Amino acid sequence: MERRTMNQVPLFSSAGELANMVITSNLIDVALAKIPELQRGQAALPRSVQPIVYHPTPNRTIVVFAPPPDSTQYPLPEGGDLVPYPDFDFLYTKECPSVSINRAALNLFESLKNHLSGLKTELIARDGQLIITGHSLGGSVASLFTLYLLDSMNKKSKCRPICITFGSPLIGDFGLQHSQWNSFFLHVVSNKDPVPGLFLPSSHTQTTAYKPFGTYLLCSELGCACFDDPDLILKLLTVISSEVAGGLLQVVDYGEILRNLKERAIYKGPRLAGERFADSFSAGIVMELETIGIDRTKLLQHNIDIRRMEAEARSLAKKTKAFDAKKLNDIKKYMALLEWYKKKSKDAKKGYYDCFKNGEFKRDIRIGEFMGHLNAYWEDMVAQADRKPQKEGASFRTSWLFAGTTYRRMVEPLDIAVFYKGGGRDYINSERSQHYKLLEQWYEEPAKPPTREELDSKKQKVSVLLTEDSCFWAHVEEAILSCKSLTNANSTTELRESSWNNLVKFGEYVMEQIENYAVSPEIFLKDSCFMTWWGEYKAYIASPSNPCSLRFIEFIDFMKTGRYGVYGGSEVP
Amino acid sequence: MGETVGNLIGLNDEVIHPAATLAVEAHNSPSKQFLVKKIKIRHDLSSVVVLAFSGSMLPEDWFGQPPFGETEIDTGKFPSLTSLNDGGDAVVNGSFLRRFNDVLDKLSHAKELKAAIEKKKQVVFAGYSSGGPIAILATLYFLENQTLSPRCLTFGSPLVGDRIFGHALRREGWSDYFTHFVMKYDIIPRIMLSPSSTEHKQILNYFKSKFDKKNINPAPPSGFYHTVMGNASSVASYEACHLMGCRNPSLDIIKSFIKLSPYRPSGTYVFCTGNGNLVVVKNPNAVLQILIHCAELGESNTAEVEKRSLDEHSAYLSELKECLGMQAVVSLDGGPATATLNDLGLSPQAMLCLQAAEEFENRRSRNLEKIRKYLEKIEVELQMLRKYKENAQISRLGYYDSFKLQNEDDDFHANVSRLELAGIWDEIKEMLKEFELPDDFENKPEIIDLGTEYRRLVEPLDIANFYRHSKDKETGAYVIGGGPRPKRYRFIQRWLEHREKKPFGSRSESLFWAGVEQLGIDIKKKKNLQEIKDRIRQLERNMIAWIDVDKSLDKDVLLEKTTFVKWWRDLPRECNSESERIEKLIGEKAAGV
Repeated sequence: MERRTMNQVPLFSSAGELANMVITSNLIDVALAKIPELQRGQAALPRSVQPIVYHPTPNRTIVVFAPPPDSTQYPLPEGGDLVPYPDFDFLYTKECPSVSINRAALNLFESLKNHLSGLKTELIARDGQLIITGHSLGGSVASLFTLYLLDSMNKKSKCRPICITFGSPLIGDFGLQHSQWNSFFLHVVSNKDPVPGLFLPSSHTQTTAYKPFGTYLLCSELGCACFDDPDLILKLLTVISSEVAGGLLQVVDYGEILRNLKERAIYKGPRLAGERFADSFSAGIVMELETIGIDRTKLLQHNIDIRRMEAEARSLAKKTKAFDAKKLNDIKKYMALLEWYKKKSKDAKKGYYDCFKNGEFKRDIRIGEFMGHLNAYWEDMVAQADRKPQKEGASFRTSWLFAGTTYRRMVEPLDIAVFYKGGGRDYINSERSQHYKLLEQWYEEPAKPPTREELDSKKQKVSVLLTEDSCFWAHVEEAILSCKSLTNANSTTELRESSWNNLVKFGEYVMEQIENYAVSPEIFLKDSCFMTWWGEYKAYIASPSNPCSLRFIEFIDFMKTGRYGVYGGSEVP
Repeated sequence: MGETVGNLIGLNDEVIHPAATLAVEAHNSPSKQFLVKKIKIRHDLSSVVVLAFSGSMLPEDWFGQPPFGETEIDTGKFPSLTSLNDGGDAVVNGSFLRRFNDVLDKLSHAKELKAAIEKKKQVVFAGYSSGGPIAILATLYFLENQTLSPRCLTFGSPLVGDRIFGHALRREGWSDYFTHFVMKYDIIPRIMLSPSSTEHKQILNYFKSKFDKKNINPAPPSGFYHTVMGNASSVASYEACHLMGCRNPSLDIIKSFIKLSPYRPSGTYVFCTGNGNLVVVKNPNAVLQILIHCAELGESNTAEVEKRSLDEHSAYLSELKECLGMQAVVSLDGGPATATLNDLGLSPQAMLCLQAAEEFENRRSRNLEKIRKYLEKIEVELQMLRKYKENAQISRLGYYDSFKLQNEDDDFHANVSRLELAGIWDEIKEMLKEFELPDDFENKPEIIDLGTEYRRLVEPLDIANFYRHSKDKETGAYVIGGGPRPKRYRFIQRWLEHREKKPFGSRSESLFWAGVEQLGIDIKKKKNLQEIKDRIRQLERNMIAWIDVDKSLDKDVLLEKTTFVKWWRDLPRECNSESERIEKLIGEKAAGV
């Protein structure tokens, strides 16, 4: 195996240590405690698959799902197909607008749903630890119930859940992947257990729609390791299932397996070879995989690439909280630089939109660089939020949506400037970046019209505010283009007509913005393209011969009488 | 090789064995709280005073409230044992702390100790078994009081404090004063990693009857090894996950369901391998991993190891007699050495844990290097701001108000500098929170000085920005702790207060402007008049002290056109208590410009 290059820092795989921490704690014992009892009980009470709930300590609740009695030997291979399940639409994302669930698990879950809905309400109200657990198909129902529960929880919920399954088959497809809730799931799987791989194809060359989610604690008689990379888990489960296939199907006793592992935990592994490890990551992962029964030959056979795992771990290791803190301040810095630019432009009686569009100052060049940083940062934030399921995405973005809106109002005009300078037309429908659209969409305007007081307070502040509609300048540019068409002798009658209509709409739009104090007084600066437009075309626009609306006349009046000079209480520009 | 233990821990080798002997003797003399002995050093004829503490095998002297009997340390007695960045106070075993408090009075009046202090003799506090924790706390107590700089030697001592405890020791530079000898299988140094249980009681009872000498050969308990070591192993694995940079998001969730022991090793550990070799380890993460991994079961059966884990607790004297003469001592710091690991009998997985512990230290050093590079950048930005501040005097506005107005180019540049600096200090803050910088970082004089200058110069700009945007309406007032005040300033303030041994909040000069702004707002709101008067008086007094006495606040707050002077002059006369003094200061400043 090739050695890592010298300048890279050593990496480690903690799959074995995490598993050992779980095994040596009593968490698994607690989760497993009632399962055998329940299974025995069920023999006497066939068909009952209702979970039992008990409270071993005042702040701990345990919910156990037993597999249905007729499936303990072999859980319904005919129920192995995936069916779409719209009830879990809370997991939908843009990339994956559907969730499919294993039929057997779903049927069982649905049959219990009335009972579970009451249980859910009761559990959410409780304060403390909640362990939801189950064996085999019971574990699948436990997983579904946990998702169902997590969806109903909010920040105020004091109940802290974890779902621990034992030897459960995979329950769903790619649609389960995107949730941050993955971290609430721990699936214990023995390498002797045929059930978890039941719905998987026998070789890695065939594909499957099933996708594991959560952390898997894989164990053999020799040891155990925890993994959370779904592709790797899928491969490992395929290896396990290909090895147990054809053997005797017997119920795996997880209690026995885990007791043995707990004993083993304080035994040394194989004796020390002597040297320290030059490549700590691959040494670790190879040992970890070996202890769960996957040796080098099997790695090759099943196309499991340790180098790729290391590369992924390396890219993850780069992201740190400290680095994020620095980045956030850098973003603030770029915004401050743009604010400064805006102010300098205002002093030049032009407004930053026009200054940037005309590229008059030396510093305009750097503005492009700041924009680049800001756009990259926010495109990434928006994409991250957009990938998450609805509710999760919403709570993720509340903390920064305010900053995002300020960014949109500050930077989008510059993007518009670049677009129209390059001769573009119809920015809003042809060029506007998706991340601006989403930022605008997420920023919900208050439904009610502003009250008198609110308007007054806006009026006070309007000179320091940013224009609310970040596409304002795109409208201005379109109005200029409309006027050009109108005054062009070669224009067709239809074009004239539509241009005039656009112009009227524009006037009405600007008037509304003005009345709501939603535009910055900077648009009235002497050399802004808005004022240039007005200066150039006012005679034409105000000509009484054209059809127009009352509101449009108001706008014409506002401009003609120069009332913009006292807009927002600001000094005459 | 060729080093002796003494060399590595900075103590004469001749002291160690006699100290161990005294410690064992003291442990078994419960009628006396401690024993004192003077030990002569042969080669330079100096002498060392050893105090050794008695022990107790009563379960209540080991475990208070189950499962771990921990309690927050009394920071009145131990002011340094706290985190300077929101990590809270150190946690120690409550029973051990109580036993230390019981002995403290007699200890501080011990004439042998007073004589040693007077003659500037080296003092060593020693403890065997449950005498160890008392020796550790006594050593710390005297280090805190700076009356003497004692050494601490323990033999088979249980763990006393948590991660913050160890972190604080290393931050203060005291870690090297503590040396703990541990036999390879001795159960007692591991016992605190496991929650209190019937097995614990059995172990303690066994030793009690053994030490009481009522029963020379009490029947040893059995079946405890799996319980104690299993729980200890869980702790070691949890820490290993962190050292190895575990990114599995389930780790935190799982951890919240598991109650792990809070106790962690600190100080220098000397492992006695049982074949005449000693291994010295200072890296606390490596110590923890070795504590667990070297006592793992190998080929020998459990019963055998279990018996050994009890026997070895009584074998320190004979073992040390054998090894101290020899020079078979290895230091593990600087990376695990293969030969040593064979002595300790570690597995490949343990080797990886040790490499991860070593790498963690390397990472912290690399982070420090990264910060060192930032220091130049900080200096450049501070220089710009110093200049900005100086220039702002010309307009008699001062840099606070100038910044708040944001009218000039210079104000914008200052704002960019402010944000550059915030980025760097926030990165430092996050690293400290995650223990990603060396433990002594917050105690480095050059860092504290630079941080303090940064805080005094730049925090007023943050306050100006805060009140310029009326953020108090959204987040509440800008106050010393919590709320909207950036945490970086709170931490940096703590570093200085800690160095000067002053209480939190005593170095709030950088918050002067927040006090002024908030008073202005509260007066407009017509809040409780008496309270406002008191606050004005306090502000005036603080200001005079900061300006006149310790010069921590610059006189430019007294410039005529500042928010402060304008506000202060508008105050009704009955509000001022120091009007003459302040008027004089304002006059002086005006004349000086």
